Amino acid sequence: MSAYRTLLAKDLRIELRTLRSLPAMVLFAVTTFVIFRFGLDRTELEGDLGAGVLVATLLFAAILAINRLFVAERDEGGFELIRLAPVDRNILFASKATALVIYLVALELVAVPIFALFFLDTAEGLPPLAAVLLLADIGLAATGTLISTIATMSSARDLLAPLILLPLLVPLVIATSGAAQHLLDAGGPDFDRFGTWIAVLGLYDSVFVLVGYATFDYLLED
Amino acid sequence: MPPLLLAIEDAEGYVGGAYLVFLLLLLVYVAIMAAKLQRIQRDLGELAELAEQPRRSEEVSGR
Amino acid sequence: MGSISLRTIAIATVAVLAAGFGLAFFYAPEDADQGFIQKIFYLHVPLAICALLGFIVAAIHAIRHLRTGDPIHDARSYVSIHLSVIFGVGVLLTGAIWARGSWGVWWEWREPTLVSFLIVFLLYATYYPLRYAIEDRDRQARYASVFAITAGAFVPLNFLAVRLAEPLIHPRTFSSAGGLPAEMMLAFLVCLVGMGLLWVTLVRFELGAKAASADLGRIRRALQGDGAPPAPAPSVAPVGVSATSAMSAGSAERSREGAPPGATRFRKKAS
Repeated sequence: MSAYRTLLAKDLRIELRTLRSLPAMVLFAVTTFVIFRFGLDRTELEGDLGAGVLVATLLFAAILAINRLFVAERDEGGFELIRLAPVDRNILFASKATALVIYLVALELVAVPIFALFFLDTAEGLPPLAAVLLLADIGLAATGTLISTIATMSSARDLLAPLILLPLLVPLVIATSGAAQHLLDAGGPDFDRFGTWIAVLGLYDSVFVLVGYATFDYLLED
Repeated sequence: MPPLLLAIEDAEGYVGGAYLVFLLLLLVYVAIMAAKLQRIQRDLGELAELAEQPRRSEEVSGR
Repeated sequence: MGSISLRTIAIATVAVLAAGFGLAFFYAPEDADQGFIQKIFYLHVPLAICALLGFIVAAIHAIRHLRTGDPIHDARSYVSIHLSVIFGVGVLLTGAIWARGSWGVWWEWREPTLVSFLIVFLLYATYYPLRYAIEDRDRQARYASVFAITAGAFVPLNFLAVRLAEPLIHPRTFSSAGGLPAEMMLAFLVCLVGMGLLWVTLVRFELGAKAASADLGRIRRALQGDGAPPAPAPSVAPVGVSATSAMSAGSAERSREGAPPGATRFRKKAS
């Protein structure tokens, strides 16, 4: 437990000090919103279109963070350290995934209100949307950490991670958009099939947290 | 009933096309494996040569 | 399991598939809704089911690889994915033809099977760049196994999510909704078994070829090691080196036991 906390604290401290990922993610998201405004030629978004724009943007911003998740470990020998330390190596998976969730939540705390400001009529759908996004973040973090590890050790790392990750995230995108599109309806949030999508997200999260945690050790082997 | 006949012909064409695609995929796979097999056979021949040489030279020099 | 020879299975495949297709065309009645075009069902759906099961089998082999470290499981996992991807191409092509014949379009987003398959195919297509991007063969095999397990867990989730994305039972689906009449069911099941046998045959065929390549490499190295300096390990695609040369260790033991090299151990799945 304390190893987990130590590793997590280290990552968060580094991020706060160097601000390597978060500002880029936020800036990317906001800029992408502007691109969508002009690309779609719309100043208002709602329903499935709004959900799609939001989810896609958050997804691509997340990939920025995922690509850089293990940069420090790779460059400064962090993997050797964890191999030598007398702790369960899966702790690194847990701490990295948690850090990623925190980054994603931080991103959404800024990006979603801005999205609402730019495109939405009403902010009523935002609180339930926050719950949906939190579940999505967990799934995103689990798969992102796993694939980021795989990609880090390969030669084409920046390319490989999004390539593998995007198809893998399709069920997550389906479920998140499925819930979000009704929450962002023009006339106020609608909870049509909300339970179904939450269930799918929960299932996705459980499966990939388990798979990631169970297989991470084998990735770290020398 | 010309339109109905045409409809039937169309359907047969598509069904035939689908099964043909399956067959072609299979044949392409077989062709690729055949090429691999040829390479293996060629390499095997080379190695057989290689294996027989030292024995021949031994027979010559060992007398 | 390795005791059934490749030849036997190949003959069984031909027999069962021929019977299946024969039943499909001459025994099963024509579908009331779709007409003659529905006959593609007997090809498309068995291909799809076998491809999907093949991905699951690959994941199982991958788990065994991680647990035992024996490269033979990695080879089986690799070949299983390879054949399933090829079957997947067949699914997409026959599916597109079916869509064209039924509804006049080459692609239909509202057909959950096609869409799910596209996504699964896109995922497994990244298996190859992944393997080629990792030089060290042990690491490559291990990472490929982790990928195979992750992707295997993904497949059912994907199908669930895509199916849910189409809330209404839309008329545009390939499923023969409701029960199949008995004659159709019989033809379908025989085709399914035939496709499964085909998958097994091709997997064992390819594993055999890999084993032969590996053995060749070993012989070459042994011969050249007698006098000349040992030839460098064939720097073919890393996959070849890792899977085949590593398989030679496994196949040596196996041939002593009398089972054919690269025998793939898995149960014939039930439909």
